[in-house]
Formats: sequence, C-alpha cells, structure tokens
Amino acid sequence: MEKVLLKGNYAIAKAAIKAGCSCYFGYPITPQTEIGEYLSEAMPALGRGYVCAESEVAAINMVMGAVATGVKAMTSSSSCAIGLMQETMSYAASDELPVVLISVMRAGPGLGYIYPAQGDYNQAVTGGGNGDYRTIVLSPSTVQDSIDLTYKAFYLAQKYRNPVILLSDGFLGQMMEPAVLHDYPYDEIDNSSWALTGAKDRGARQIRSLEVNQEKQNAHVYKLFEKYALIEKEEVSYEEENTLDADILLVAFGSMTRNIKAAARKLREKGLKVGTFRPVTLWPFPSKRLLELSETIKNILVVEMNMGQMTKDVKLAVNGNAKVYHFGRPTGKWVNVDEIVQATLNLGGVSYANI
Amino acid sequence: MQTFSIPKSLKENMIYTFCPGCDHGVAIRLIAELLDEFGLKENALTAASVGCSVFLYNFLDVDCVEAPHGRALACATGIKRAQPDKFVFTYQGDGDFASIGLAESTHAAARGEAITTICINNTLYGMTGGQLGPTTVLNQITTTSPHGRNREYHGFPLKMTEHIALCDGTAFAARVSLDSPAAIIKAKKAIKKAFEVQLKGLGFGFVEILSSCPTNWKMNPVESHKHIREELTKVYPLGTFKDLTEGL
Repeated sequence: MEKVLLKGNYAIAKAAIKAGCSCYFGYPITPQTEIGEYLSEAMPALGRGYVCAESEVAAINMVMGAVATGVKAMTSSSSCAIGLMQETMSYAASDELPVVLISVMRAGPGLGYIYPAQGDYNQAVTGGGNGDYRTIVLSPSTVQDSIDLTYKAFYLAQKYRNPVILLSDGFLGQMMEPAVLHDYPYDEIDNSSWALTGAKDRGARQIRSLEVNQEKQNAHVYKLFEKYALIEKEEVSYEEENTLDADILLVAFGSMTRNIKAAARKLREKGLKVGTFRPVTLWPFPSKRLLELSETIKNILVVEMNMGQMTKDVKLAVNGNAKVYHFGRPTGKWVNVDEIVQATLNLGGVSYANI
Repeated sequence: MQTFSIPKSLKENMIYTFCPGCDHGVAIRLIAELLDEFGLKENALTAASVGCSVFLYNFLDVDCVEAPHGRALACATGIKRAQPDKFVFTYQGDGDFASIGLAESTHAAARGEAITTICINNTLYGMTGGQLGPTTVLNQITTTSPHGRNREYHGFPLKMTEHIALCDGTAFAARVSLDSPAAIIKAKKAIKKAFEVQLKGLGFGFVEILSSCPTNWKMNPVESHKHIREELTKVYPLGTFKDLTEGL
C-alpha cells in the first residue's frame, strides 16, 4: 500500500475506525484533541456512536458500558485527565472489560502544560487505580507505530479481555510523517460467552467487581494474575539494534527512541560500540531480554522525558548486572541527539544523573 | 380472577437483603412487573449503581454492568449508543444520582438519552449508615449532621425531579412515593410512562421515588411512611413535572 503523510493523532483515529471501533467517547484536552475532532465527523457518517462527553470521568464510563455489550470502543485523553479515568480502569481490569484508552502525554505534574513529556510512564504501567491489577501498555515511536499499535490495542484488549493503554506523547500526536494505513490485521475475537446482549434463553449476566465473599474475591484476583502471567509470557515486544557487540546500551520508549537511534549512529562513528533497545510493550516489560543483554553490556543509559520512571524498571530487570543511568528532563525541550551523545560520552565520568 | 404471582423478571430463589420496612423491595417489584408487562426482560440492559440500590442485580434477572459510584448514566449512555435497540435503564440512589453523579445524570437528561432512570430518594447515604447527602432535608439528623441539617452550615438540599425536568432532553420526570397502596399504584403509572418515553424514542425518562429508610431514620416502617407523607412531601412535592407524552 501507498504511504500517506499523516499526523500522529489522525493516524490513531483512522486506525480506530479501520479496527472496527463502534463507539468513541471523549472530552477535549491538548495535545490529543484531533482524535476526537476527526472522529466527530467520521463516526456518525459510518453510523457509529460518538458522544462529546461531559468529562473524562463520563467518557471512560461510557466506554465501559459500550464494551460490556461486546463492541469495540475507546476514548482518548492526556495526562491529568487520564488521572480522572483511573477508577474506571481499575473497574475494567477487575471486570475484564476490553477498554481501549489512548493516552497522549503532556507535561505534568498537575495541569502542567501542553509541552510533550513522558511523565506518565508510571501512571500507565503501574496503574493509577486501586487494587492489584495490570493494564497492557503499548508504546509507539512513529506514526506508523501509532497505526499498528492502535490495531494491536484493540486486538489484545479483546483477546485477553483486559484494558489496553496506547501511550503516545505530544511529539508523536502532533507530528506528521509518512505511514501506511493498512487494514486491521487481526482475527475478530468471539465474545458471545460473556457480552451483555440481554438475558434471552439464559440467565442474566452480571459484569461486576463488588464481591462480598472474601474467598471469591481472593480467587478472582488470583485468576486475574494467572492471565497476567500468560500475557507476560506471550506478549512481550521490543526492538533492539546493534546489541551484539555493544559495550553501551541506550534505552528509550516512545518518541525518544528516535533520538537514541540517531545518537547511537553518531557514537558508532566516534568508535563507541553502542546499541539501542526500545520496549514496545511497557507492560509486559521486556525484563528478560534486558537481563540477557546485561550479561555482556555493563553500561546502560536510559533516555526518557521524565525523572527516571522507566529507568527504575530497567534497573529491576538487570538486577545489578549493569550500571544503569538516567538522562532526560521532565519537559519543555526535546532531549536532542547531541545531548544524548554527550551524556553517553560522560558515562562513568561526570554523569548527568546517576540514580 | 387476578391472583398474586412473582414477576418473571425477578430471579428465582432470591434472598431478600434489604432492611425491614425499606421501600427498595416495592420499587424493584414495580420495575419487574413493568419489564414483564412490556415484555422487556430479554431485551433489557442495566448499569448498576453504588449504594443499597446496587442490589438490584440480586433480584432482577436482567443483564447488567456495575458502574462506579455516580457513573451509572455515563455507563448506560455507552450501552445505549452501542446497542440503540435495547431497553436501557438505571436504578440509583439519591447520593449516586444527585451528588457524586450529578454531572452524568444532568448531561444524560440534557442529551435526551433514551434511557429510563428510577432514583430512590431516602434523603441520606443509606448503605454507609446514614450520612448527610444532597437530599437531606433541613433539620434532619444524620451521622454527619448530628444536630440536624443547618441551612447556614450545610446548605440546602437539591430537588432532583425539578432539576431534571428543566433539561430539554427530558421527556418525562415525576416524583412519587410508596407510602400507601394508592401511592404505589400512582408510582407504577409514573414508572410506566418513564419506560414508554424510552420505547417511543422521546428522550430521557425519570422517576424519583421518596423512599423509607427506617434503619437510618430511626423510625419504624409505619412512622417512616408517615414521615414521607407529612414531612418530606412538603420539601419534595409529588407529581409530574414534565410529560412529553401528553397530547400524543
């Protein structure tokens, strides 16, 4: 198929339509508003559902109601407003509902501003809601990824009956680059065994998280964690380059991946053996592969536009086998290639931040 | 000859979990009777709420998803937009509907969602033991207004039906009580209209039911119904506040 020039947020919206998303519910917030704007035209034209929700709280609960009936549905938002949705994400995880949430990160904490940032890694990966639960988190680094991983978000949500977050950011949402808008590549999942369709020729179905019986509550959480173990076994995804002979590994997620790749090329030209590693799934995290890499690579620089949120997971993964450094800043200015080159050259000497 | 029977929309062998003298049981039975009369049980979907009203799903044999506190009408909106041909309703308490969920409630009405909502107003948070809520009347003693609701200190209660009736998307809004057999008959007629406006696609249907809470009111069931009749209706007058079916 032909490549077309696409803005990141529009790519997500167009992919959602091709994935068969039946309903979109949303509330405006920069830098993701184009998703809702695009779908406000496209969804009614296709006879699909669209509501300009009164709040993000309402939007995510509309998604919950829609997906409970067996259709695909999603909402999109950003940072502080994703915070508003966390109660329902916890409900959806407990209820095993295939909620798809597009999170286009801006700066924080608090209201922050519309500058791009990656400060919502923890929010997405560790979950902001109550209780023991997990959400699958997919991290695009290009507009093409935004299409491919939107498809994957709908697929994995249905396959595992679990909420999925597509964790984009202000750079990816607002930039344009060529991408192929191919068709939804996954099989449709049969959800007739659980979806709410009306209690016809069967007893009523209840999708609920209230459980007054302690034993049943425990058993439910153990069952969820069996599913999470399966997801960790089956769905880890990552991308690595030039790691075979590397002495130094640059690690990044999302838009920062682009810059560590460019920095690694420059550092190779200077004679340093530098490889790159990018988790595509932030949960499940590619801990096993990072541990393997740490057998031979003893210096790891994690570049992220936050104060070291993923760095912590890299440290946990390598379990002391390698020195793990963080380089980045919370927001305001792109962490550029030359800065990453310099930070890498400084490793072992004057480090920018050694946590 | 008409004989007593259990509505088919009620589950078999259910265990009654409401307090003695509580009106929830009567309200749920009326809904079950109407689901039977309209033949809607197999086509109905509900978004459950939080509070004593959550136990609706222990009694009604209807598919349901449990919304977080206050979000029943957002959840129900999602259901209706995904499944426009289904009969969608919510059953909520006054705390759920008018306090934590007021935004979702108001906007579902304003949009004119073809959804039916039955709201139980017992003037406090029942399940947590009787705290001051959005509908607690002046001078009413609750566990968080131990000297009574004070207008200067706590402010005034909210009138849900009047508020919802003001929304252009509302097709039917009425306040009823269940304090006598005659009142129960009127209540059923109102709930029936709230069903009909959805089925006719006229908009949002709403019925507020003034309901007894003997446990938290510290009254016996007879006193509770007398309290509704003689005191609560002064603040919350019964009647139909909006009806788009008139003249149809």
